[in-house]
Amino acid sequence: MIINKFILVLISLFIQLSISVYSQTDWVRWEKSDPTYQKKDTHLNRDFDLSIQSVSDVIVKPLINAYWFFVSDVDGANCPFHPSCSSFLVQSIKETNPFKGTLMFFDRFTRDTNVFGRLEHYPRYGTNHFYDPISLYTLDKEKIKIIPTNTFINE
Amino acid sequence: MSNKIFFLLVVILFPIYGQQIDIHSPKNIKKFADFLFCDKDYLRAIDEYKKYLQVVEDDTANYKIALGYSLINDQSNALQEFSSINNSSALYEQSRIEVLKSLSLSKSDSAFYLLANNLINSKSQFSNNAQRLLNTSILLNENELPDKNKFLIPFESDDKLLLGNYYDLKINPPYKSETVAGILSAIIPGSGKIYTEDYGDGITAFLLTGLFTYLAYTNFENDHQTRGWIFIALGAGFYTGNVYGSVASAQIFNAKVNFNFENGLKLFLEDKNYFTPAYDFCK
Repeated sequence: MIINKFILVLISLFIQLSISVYSQTDWVRWEKSDPTYQKKDTHLNRDFDLSIQSVSDVIVKPLINAYWFFVSDVDGANCPFHPSCSSFLVQSIKETNPFKGTLMFFDRFTRDTNVFGRLEHYPRYGTNHFYDPISLYTLDKEKIKIIPTNTFINE
Repeated sequence: MSNKIFFLLVVILFPIYGQQIDIHSPKNIKKFADFLFCDKDYLRAIDEYKKYLQVVEDDTANYKIALGYSLINDQSNALQEFSSINNSSALYEQSRIEVLKSLSLSKSDSAFYLLANNLINSKSQFSNNAQRLLNTSILLNENELPDKNKFLIPFESDDKLLLGNYYDLKINPPYKSETVAGILSAIIPGSGKIYTEDYGDGITAFLLTGLFTYLAYTNFENDHQTRGWIFIALGAGFYTGNVYGSVASAQIFNAKVNFNFENGLKLFLEDKNYFTPAYDFCK
């Protein structure tokens, strides 16, 4: 009888011990973590690329990179559009040519200056930007894809 | 003691009795499939109907499989299943108009027009539905339209009014000319954008071009050559950019006209369920 009790105690001890040992294998849960509560903003993902692929890159890329590094990133994401006006210039030159790209940029800058009627005119990008892609302005009708203004495009 | 025996009997008899109900009988499979179908869980309903059809021949179940595929927008499977319903079935006529709907949604134009004309000429109970679907598709996809009165004959009076408006829009779409927009902006900066109904952008373009031109003028007047040329360059940039933007704005305006036209007609077709008959499967 005493031996039986002894075996029972041994078994229960073994079970308790193995459970506690197993639970301790999940160390990650208890380790120190450094959570960040900063909201991720892909709108500001900069492509600091200085590779020269065309003649216009010699002038445009250093200028834009300098503007991003010294002005825009310090000042914050103030452009109401996605892509931002500076990214719009880079993309439009890449998509078309320096002359057409510059015209597209001046036109974009005019739209940026106009603060009226944006909500009724543009779909929304993320939480606080208006979506205004270059594909609408290349004068290539095939590339124009209309997105209704009340659409929210996720980042 | 007798209580214990009674309790044991209950415990033993319940599972024994439970095993006597065959939940996989064809009748129960069909019942479950019908429940899933009416619950709009079409994919699982199709699986159950297929199980049921392995044992029983039932053209309604076959039809529901096809209808399920059609409702989840798997048009190729829907076409295959609807086509398997033979002409001795009571659901054959319905299946033909459903095939027409699937062909319309899968953009199989030549097959669609062929079947639509067959259905119209066959004088079946759904000939008028086929004619309505054909006319709406012509309005949506074709450039040449039949006479307006002839076009509107198969429709009901409410739809006649709506489709009459769409017909007029197709014949005379309210497009804006890209050339006019560009020329207007070249004459008065921003006026091209006002023409394309981008009023805010038009006024802004006028103010920006005017401001930089004025700044250039006053700087040259006061002999500030460098500043004058900088403002001239900026003014010229905004001016040419606006002429370019006005042409782009006219293109976007026209694309929006097309988008609203197509979207409106597609919503009309969805609202009418592509002129397919209403079913009482779930009543």
